Amino acid sequence: MKENQKKAWLFLAPSLVLITLFSIWPIIRAFLMSFQGGPLIDMHFNGLQNYKYIFVDPEFWRALKNTAIYAFVAVPVALVISIALAWFIFSKIKHTAFFETMFFMPYVTSTIAIGIVFRYIFNGEYGLLNFLLKAVHLPQPDWLDNPSLSLVSLIIFGIWSSLAFNIVILMGALRNIDPNYYVLANMYGASDKEKFWRITLPQLVPTIAFLLTVNIIGAFKIYTQVYALFNGQAGIGNSAMTAVFYIYNKFQIVGTPGVAMAATVVLFLFILFVTYLQRKLMKKVNS
Amino acid sequence: MKQKSKFRWGMIFVYLFIAIFAIVTVFPFIYMILGGLMSYQETTTIPPTIIPKNWNWSNYQKVFQQAPFARYFLNTFITASVTTVVTLFTSVLGAFAMTSLKFKGKGFVQLVFLSLLMVPGEAIIFTNYNTIAQLGLLNTYLGLVLPFLTSIFYMYYLQSYFTAISPTIYKASKIDGASDWEYVWKILVPMSKGGLVTVALLSFISGWNSFLWPLLVTNEDSMRLLNNGLSSFANDAGAQTQLQLAAATLTVLPVLIIYFIFRKQIINGVVRNDLKA
Amino acid sequence: MSNDNFIEVKQLEKTYENGYQAIKSVSFSVKKGDLVCLLGPSGCGKTTTLNMIAGLLNPTGGDIIVNGKSMLDVEPKDRNIGYVFQNYALYPHMTVLQNVMFPMTVGKNKKSKAEAQKIAEHFMELTHIEDLADQKPGKLSGGQQQRVAIARALVQEPQILLMDEPLSNLDARLRLKIREEIRSLVKEVGITTLFVTHDQEEALSIGDKIILFHEGVIQQDDSGQELYLNPNNQFVANFIGNPVIDNFKVRVEDNNIIGAGFSFSVSELTPSRLPESLEDGEYTLAIRPENLSLDEDGLLNCVVDDVELIGRERVVKFTHDNLQERALIDLEQDVNSGDKISLNMNLNRAFLFKDNGERVY
Repeated sequence: MKENQKKAWLFLAPSLVLITLFSIWPIIRAFLMSFQGGPLIDMHFNGLQNYKYIFVDPEFWRALKNTAIYAFVAVPVALVISIALAWFIFSKIKHTAFFETMFFMPYVTSTIAIGIVFRYIFNGEYGLLNFLLKAVHLPQPDWLDNPSLSLVSLIIFGIWSSLAFNIVILMGALRNIDPNYYVLANMYGASDKEKFWRITLPQLVPTIAFLLTVNIIGAFKIYTQVYALFNGQAGIGNSAMTAVFYIYNKFQIVGTPGVAMAATVVLFLFILFVTYLQRKLMKKVNS
Repeated sequence: MKQKSKFRWGMIFVYLFIAIFAIVTVFPFIYMILGGLMSYQETTTIPPTIIPKNWNWSNYQKVFQQAPFARYFLNTFITASVTTVVTLFTSVLGAFAMTSLKFKGKGFVQLVFLSLLMVPGEAIIFTNYNTIAQLGLLNTYLGLVLPFLTSIFYMYYLQSYFTAISPTIYKASKIDGASDWEYVWKILVPMSKGGLVTVALLSFISGWNSFLWPLLVTNEDSMRLLNNGLSSFANDAGAQTQLQLAAATLTVLPVLIIYFIFRKQIINGVVRNDLKA
Repeated sequence: MSNDNFIEVKQLEKTYENGYQAIKSVSFSVKKGDLVCLLGPSGCGKTTTLNMIAGLLNPTGGDIIVNGKSMLDVEPKDRNIGYVFQNYALYPHMTVLQNVMFPMTVGKNKKSKAEAQKIAEHFMELTHIEDLADQKPGKLSGGQQQRVAIARALVQEPQILLMDEPLSNLDARLRLKIREEIRSLVKEVGITTLFVTHDQEEALSIGDKIILFHEGVIQQDDSGQELYLNPNNQFVANFIGNPVIDNFKVRVEDNNIIGAGFSFSVSELTPSRLPESLEDGEYTLAIRPENLSLDEDGLLNCVVDDVELIGRERVVKFTHDNLQERALIDLEQDVNSGDKISLNMNLNRAFLFKDNGERVY
C-alpha cells in the first residue's frame, strides 16, 4: 500500500470543502471585517476604529461584565451541585439509570420551550415560584421585570440547564473509577466523607477540568437562554445583555457588522485566554 | 449509638437532596404539559393551578390556527434529517481517511481540525450568514443546512471509534481485494453501528433544537424552524400563557419521545465523548 | 518446473523515515509448493519482510519477484496472495460463511453469490469448519477462528499463502495439533507458503526450509537439520535447539584449546572440519547438551546445581566458569543435585566461534 495516498484527499474532500467555506473562511472574514466599517453591502477599511468604539462603549462593557458574572457564578455552582448529585446517585441509589434519564432531560430539549415554562414559573404576579415563596414567608421579588434581578434569574436558569450534561459526564467518570479502591477503603473503615474526598474527588479531577472548560466556554457564548428567558430581549433595559447578544445587536439590528466582528474577535480571544488559564490551573492542581 | 443517628441524618439529607433536584428538573416539563391544557383563567389565578379542571385540547387547535406549526414541524424535520444524514456521510468518509489512510499532510490537517474545534460557533455564525446571504440562499432549505453538512466534532468522535478497530481488519480487506469504498460501507460502517447511531441521534436532536442560525437566516414565517416559530409565537401570543405552553409542549414532545426510546444510546454517546477528551 | 524459484527476494531493504533500518539487505528464494519458515526473535525483520511480500509495506530498496514478475508496483489486492494475520482479523459482524465468501464479493473478480458460496463451502470443508457456517467469529475458539482465517485466505486460490505467527495466540497443545494440520493442508492444496514464527521448534517441525533472521539480516537459509547441525554462526547455534547450546569461553594457544578447568589439544578436533589455520586468541566453544556424556575421567568436572526430569531424559544443570550449562543424560543414570560429576564432550559435534560470532569449526 502506498504510503502517500492521494485518494485520502478524495475521502476528505466533501468535509474539507465545507469546513473551508464555513469554518475557516468565516474566521478570516470575521477578523478582516473587524477592521472594516459601514453597512454589510458596502464595507471599507477603517483600521482600529471598531475596536476603539467597543472599548469606550458602556454597553459593551456591561455585556462583558454580565457575561463574566454569569460564567463565573453559574458554572462553578452548577458544577458543585452536579458533583454532589452524581456522587449521591452513584453511591447511594440502586436504580441509577432511572435518575440519569431524568436528569438528562433538559439537555435534549429546546431552550426556547423551557424558557417559556420558566417565564411562567418566574412570573412576578402569578408565577408558581413567588407563590411558594409567599407560602414560606420569604420575599417574592419580580424575577423577570426587575433589572437588578435579571442576571440572578438568568443564572438560576443557566444552572438548571447545565446540570444535565455535567451529571451524565460525571456519572460516566465515576463508573470508570476502579471499584477496588472502595473495597480497600471499606476494609480500612473509611467513612463516606473520607471516601469521597480522598478517593473519588482526586480521580475526578481530569473530568472536572474538562467540564469546567466546556462549561465556561459555553457560558461565554450564552445567547439562546437569554432570548428564551426574556422573550427576545436581553432582559428589561438590557440588564441581561451578554456578549453574543451585543454582537447580534450590532450585526443585525444596528447594522454595524464591523463593530460586531470586533466584539467577536475580542470575545474569542477572551475565551482562548480563559481556557489557557484554566488549563494551567488544572495542571497545577493535578501535580 | 451516636454513629447510627448521624448515619440516618446523612442518608436523609442525601435522599432529600436528590429528590429536590429531581423534582426541580422534571417539574418544568410536567408543568409545561399540564399548563398547555389549562384555560387562560387557570394560568393567571393565584394560587396557581397545577392540574387543570378540564383538559382543553382546543388549545392545540388554536396554536395550529394562529401559527403554521405544522409547517414549522416539517421544516425542522427536513433540515434536521438532511444535516444528520449528510453529516454522517461526510464525517464517516473523513474519519476513515484520517484513521486508515496514510498521506502527506495528515498531521497538518489533524492540527487544523483540532484548532477549529476550539472556535465557538457563535464567532463564525455571523460571517456564515453573510456568505449565505451573498449566495442568495436566505429563506431556503439549502441555506439552512449548508454550513452544517459536516462536523469536525463528529469526525473526531468517529475517529475514536474507528481507531478502536484493529488495523489488521483494514489490511485484511485490502488483501481480500476490497477497494477503500467497499471497505468503508461493507466493513467499517457495520462494525461501527453504535457510534454512528449515537452521532445520528445527537446530530438530529441538536438540529431539531437549533435557534440562532435559523433566526439569522430565515424571516419568512413559512421557512421558520420550530424553535424560532415558537419564540415568535410566544411573542405574539402575549399573555396567552396556556397557548404558549401548548406550543412549547408540541416542540418538546417529539424529542422527548425519541429520547426516552434511545436514552441509553444517547447518554452513552455523550459520555464516550468525554472519555476521549 | 518444480525446481524453479517461485518467489525471489533480491537485496530487499526497508529503512523508515526516522532512519531505523528494519531490513538491511535480504535475499532468498522459495521453490514452488514449499512451506518456508521465516524465523527469528522479535524485531528481527521477519514480519516486515512478510508484509513487503504482501504489499502492505513498501521496500526502500531491492525487488520482490513472484512467478517471474516484479511485485514492486503491485497493490496487495492484485498480488493474488492470501494472508493469515496473527489476530486472524475476521470481520466480527459477519458469519463464518460470509467471512470466507467476502473476498469473492468485492473487488474486480466478483463472483455470483451462489458460486461464491460453493467455493467457500469447499474450503470450509478442507479446514473442517463447515459446521460453523452461521456462527459469528466472537463465538468461536482461537483454533476455530484460525481455521476460518485460513479458509478465507485460500478462497481465491492465491499463488502464495502468507502467515504471520498464526499459532502464537493458541495454547501449547492446540499449537502442536494445528501446525500439523496447516502443513498437511498447504501440501494438499499445493500452495507456496511463507510462515513467520519466533518459535524455533515450530519452524524445525513444519518448514521445508528455514530462513533465520536477526537484526534485519538473514543469518542462515537452510533446512532445519542443517541449521541444527551446521549453524553458520553463533547466533544460529544459540537460537536453534532446545535446551539452548552450551557455551564455554576458551583460549587457543599453541595448538591447545584452554578453557576454565580443562584443556585439550587441537588435534582432538575432527580434522576435516578444521579451518586451514586456527589463530591464537579468544573463542567460544559451543556444544549441545546431548553431546555431553558422563565419564569418570571427563574434561569437565563440576557440581550439579539442579536436575530436571523431563519425561524421557534428565537435564543436569551445572555452573561452569560462572555460566549455567546443561547436559542431557539418560534417565537411568542416577545423578542428583549436589553430586560431583565429570563430563566428556563429543568434540566432533562441537563448534568453535570467534568473538564476532563467526564459526571457524
